[in-house]
Amino acid sequence: MKTLTRLSKEALVALPMASLVSVFLLWPALTVVFKSFVSDSGFRLDSISRALSGTYQQSFLLSTQLSMTTAIIGGVIGFYLAVIVDRMKPSSKIRSATQAWSAVASQMGGVPLAFAFFAILGTQGIATHILRNFGIDLTEMGLTLSSFWGWVFVYLYFQVPLMFLIVSPALSAMKPSWKEGAHSLGASSSNYWLRVALPILFPVLITGALLLFVNAFSAYATVYALSSSGGQLVPLQIRFILQGNVITGEEDLGYALVTVTMGLLALAMISIQVLQRRFARWLA
Amino acid sequence: MKSKFVSNIFAIFFGAALVSYFFLPLLAMGRFAFQVTPVINLTWDNLFEGWKFDSITRALLNPKVLETATLTGGLTLLTIFITLLALLPIATFVEVARPGWKPWLTAVTILPWIIPPVALVVGVAATFRPFAPWFLSNPLSLSFFYAIWMLPFSYRAIAGQLSMIGAKTLFEASQSLGASTLSFFFKVLLPNIRNSLTVATLLIVAAVTGEFTFAALLLKQTFPVYLIDLQSEDVRSGYALALLVIVATAVLLSFVTSSLRKRGGQFNAIGV
Repeated sequence: MKTLTRLSKEALVALPMASLVSVFLLWPALTVVFKSFVSDSGFRLDSISRALSGTYQQSFLLSTQLSMTTAIIGGVIGFYLAVIVDRMKPSSKIRSATQAWSAVASQMGGVPLAFAFFAILGTQGIATHILRNFGIDLTEMGLTLSSFWGWVFVYLYFQVPLMFLIVSPALSAMKPSWKEGAHSLGASSSNYWLRVALPILFPVLITGALLLFVNAFSAYATVYALSSSGGQLVPLQIRFILQGNVITGEEDLGYALVTVTMGLLALAMISIQVLQRRFARWLA
Repeated sequence: MKSKFVSNIFAIFFGAALVSYFFLPLLAMGRFAFQVTPVINLTWDNLFEGWKFDSITRALLNPKVLETATLTGGLTLLTIFITLLALLPIATFVEVARPGWKPWLTAVTILPWIIPPVALVVGVAATFRPFAPWFLSNPLSLSFFYAIWMLPFSYRAIAGQLSMIGAKTLFEASQSLGASTLSFFFKVLLPNIRNSLTVATLLIVAAVTGEFTFAALLLKQTFPVYLIDLQSEDVRSGYALALLVIVATAVLLSFVTSSLRKRGGQFNAIGV
């Protein structure tokens, strides 16, 4: 009797969460995976292989390219910013302002962000106007907000602060004695960074880059608002198929695109977990 | 010494570039919303002419804005309710009685990173549409997906404080003083994690106010979805309202970071 009440108590506290996750996350997600491998006539791989060939292969390449580019550039800038801020005094106003602003900007994105960039760099943008007066025509140079580098420029708005937020705690967890030790053994500042700090921080930096990758890969609203030609990116291809699902057979392609995307993101997230464990060992 | 000087100069330039990158677009947005001079005619001489704030009043008095904002407000409240109902019992139970479950719970709350909104929507269309079309036809159904989507953040906000206040010790102490489990929960636990409840709530408010993907793909006209329509009808109003959203979000999230700092925590951007 006692085990029974205990069991029911466990079930009772776990029930709300378990039902939320299974009904609204697992059921839909697993259905998609199932449907992309199984049709009425049994197991098949054709929709997955379609999702990985032709136009759709191009989409995955483009999305990967965009995500990697913004992860690397955003990662380097965000890391350098974190290093500069880490050197400041803990009471520094700039330090707390940077932290607060990063929290804001890392969550920004979507429609308002696209509007802000239109106002400055769109065809009617103020910077576009000023540069035109100096004889520089951004549109003629192909540097518009609906081009690849335009997207990169806008994505950095949330990628840089996200990297900053990921790396900052790791930087402040670095023990000063490591630096003192390196210096007393005759290491120069660049020696310390190359041989001590960067190897220790390596797992964190890769974690950050991977997370930025995942973040960019799943971003939808920003690029949707920025350009119609963003239709080439995976999330917008998925939308296209989802809304045009009157054509039979195309649904399966949508399921396959989602399955491949989730597989890719799962790979990145699993790597993050492994790397985090490694960094935790350093700090222990 | 010299190299230090050079690196400091470089850092200052770098900082200035970043400040311009982050704030000039917002200033340009403000100009667009509140100055009636078209960009083409703008010169240094008329920079301070033609500033009018009619766009924001027009936006705020627009009945569609009011209607969609009410829906988004309702979604926010429901999302907060669902999140707390799902998260508080299990997070407390795991902290107090089943620490061995923690890795599992953590893993579950990371799942939304692997299944982003655009992927989940496809699954939702494949499952709910045939089985429960009535559910999706109600715009408030979005709140369940919002609660899922915010799980990495809301879980970490709450779990972090639960372990910091030593929920297990508090529970044992209250038991030995004869308190029931329920009165422990309401009289001891909740007042002690108020801070993280505020943080989780504000994060949800900020996120739902800007959420676009679920709503647009499931064809629900929430506030952020209407923002695009408004911008094509009345550009300046659309910009004014979008700027207002950014400023309001900034204020909310600064409050989050400052209340986190008070308890020695840091904003967890990742929920990993």
